[in-house]
Amino acid sequence: MVSEELQKLIHATCMQARGQGYQTLSEPDGKRVLKSLGVEVPRGREVNGSGDLSHSLRDLRSPLALKVVSQEVVHKSDFGAVKLGLKGTEDVAVAMGEIQAALRARGIDAHKFLIEEMAKPGVELVIGGLLDPEFGPMIMLGLGGIFVEVYKDVAFRICPINRDDAMEMIDSLVGSALLHGARGKEPIDIEALVDCLIKLGGDNGLLLMPQMPFAEIDINPFIATSTGATAVDARFVLKQV
Amino acid sequence: MLTSANFDSLFQPEAIAVVGASATSVSGGNRFLRHLKNFGFKGPIYPIHPTASEVEGLKAYSSFEALPQSVDYMYVAVNATQVSNVIRAAQGKAKFAQVMSSGFSETESGKLLETDLTEAARQTGIRIIGPNCLGTYSPEGKITFTSGTSNEIGHVGVLSQSGGLGVDILRRGKNRGVRFGGLVTVGNCADVRPAELLEHFFQSDKFRVIGLYLETAMGGRQLFEVLRKYKNTKPVVLLKGGSTSAGQIAAISHTGALAGSQAAWKALEAQTNLITASTLNEFLDILLALQCLGANGVSHENLILFGNGGGTSVLGADAFARQGFRLANLSSQSLNQLSALNLPAGSSIANPIDVPAGALQQDEGRIAGKILKALVQTSHALTIVHINMTVVTSFEHVDMLGNIIESFMNLQATQLRDGKIALVLRSDGDPAMEQTKLKYRQMAIEAGTPVFDELADAAIALGAIRRSRFNRAS
Repeated sequence: MVSEELQKLIHATCMQARGQGYQTLSEPDGKRVLKSLGVEVPRGREVNGSGDLSHSLRDLRSPLALKVVSQEVVHKSDFGAVKLGLKGTEDVAVAMGEIQAALRARGIDAHKFLIEEMAKPGVELVIGGLLDPEFGPMIMLGLGGIFVEVYKDVAFRICPINRDDAMEMIDSLVGSALLHGARGKEPIDIEALVDCLIKLGGDNGLLLMPQMPFAEIDINPFIATSTGATAVDARFVLKQV
Repeated sequence: MLTSANFDSLFQPEAIAVVGASATSVSGGNRFLRHLKNFGFKGPIYPIHPTASEVEGLKAYSSFEALPQSVDYMYVAVNATQVSNVIRAAQGKAKFAQVMSSGFSETESGKLLETDLTEAARQTGIRIIGPNCLGTYSPEGKITFTSGTSNEIGHVGVLSQSGGLGVDILRRGKNRGVRFGGLVTVGNCADVRPAELLEHFFQSDKFRVIGLYLETAMGGRQLFEVLRKYKNTKPVVLLKGGSTSAGQIAAISHTGALAGSQAAWKALEAQTNLITASTLNEFLDILLALQCLGANGVSHENLILFGNGGGTSVLGADAFARQGFRLANLSSQSLNQLSALNLPAGSSIANPIDVPAGALQQDEGRIAGKILKALVQTSHALTIVHINMTVVTSFEHVDMLGNIIESFMNLQATQLRDGKIALVLRSDGDPAMEQTKLKYRQMAIEAGTPVFDELADAAIALGAIRRSRFNRAS
């Protein structure tokens, strides 16, 4: 699944980030990795400041999300550095000005931004990866939002996982009923979720690629709907070398 | 993936060398020699001693070169600083070396010594078990490292990272009726890793049930891969010591922060259908249940409780319900046969079946066998028989308890179809009672029925097996 070409791209991306002294991949870089793996990410565009916004936005469908791209901003929403539900160029330009002002107040000069189509509402999940000191690569699935923050409703598995393992992870969540269509809602596309878990943690998944460069991976939120699943934010922490 | 050492000769060595036994005092090496002789090891034992001509009544040899033959197994109990030299001197003369000596990686100053020991294993080809362990027990090979171990050959194979706990497992296990095929204490695992021995337990038909006491994985990937490769072939019971992981995850991410120290072990359990125990007694109870019933013997969620003592039945039913079991509806054949027995007043023929001791007096206790025969007509159920020994043995003129157990055993041997029986012998702790219990415990286990001390213990052990999903993976 991780072709040699993709391995090269991943290693090159990581080397570049390391070269700049970064501990993590930027969000656009992380999403490029996911997209290359075949994990759906929102359509989006990186911009440098607000110049020529209308050209950048020409084929993006509203509502849009605007996020700062900066290694100095770890928890974007805590910094007021994410704006959601934007419609059109003017909205985006105003939001960008607000983010820049908020960050300037913290001494951060922000000019790189990511503008993305907002994912359709669905069930918020968290998918993660890490290296256990004894057992090596592991994959995590959790229910997002309050479920992960308060209830820590998560399941871990040692890689590689197969489809049965992935199904078991899903069903072992306390809130798994939400995925199967609780309270009159449509069930999510379980196959799409299983596919994503396998692409990350399966036999040929990202977490088992040769010289896997990541210490930890967070895909949070990963939004699952009845017709698919999208990695809305992704954070790749580089291994210490 | 793994170097496939043939561990058969570890469990059945033809000749054994012992390094580190004293001619003048009593050291670990001397104790090992004494245990070996007492246990009746049949092959030659060669103490190696630089000067003495005799150690523990055995002819001593000054070096490995002087030995008349090479050995399958050598036991090393010299100072940590000497161990690597001993291994190198034994090159070509020994297959396995069990290093009892401590003072290696478990101490800061011994880390380099252990690196050198691992290196010595690579150089000489001698497979090293330990250091910092106690020994290997094999009733078939007649080797042991402690007193009071059983001569009976069983099929439970155990690997214990701790030597002392290995002794507990053997001795307490023996009294509880667990019959071992072998037990290896592995200590620091400088060379032979748990995964390798585990693979031997899976491959050798001398072992049917496997027990592991581990504090660290000592090669987690290998352990995971072996467990996954042989998943559902033999049941594996894990007693995991230590709630902190070997290393700390950096936890920059959400995922890392959520992992906690036991996430990998829980995952291992789920992915390989491990059966987990949380105490030594649970570990032994589970091994015993597997030895007697097999993992598939505990696949039913339906339960029949039968015994004397109303409150005990209620508490027992609660304990089993907590473990996910439910009381079975008795079949019409069972109910008809029970009614035909005309049990005296005070008996309940609804599940749980409570028959007071007075009622069990009928036919000097043999009525219990008839009741049980009726109960096992209900299929797909596990029958738990509990006996309050104090009450039953107070009828002193007959050996009612003996008759009850004997009639169960007859039934177990001849008429049990898909149902399984487990026995709970409840004692008040009186020494005479404990003696009686030990006797009947061994008798029941001989006939393939596991015996527990309390209904709650039975519930926990059987519940752990049922929950493990062993053999029932999709």
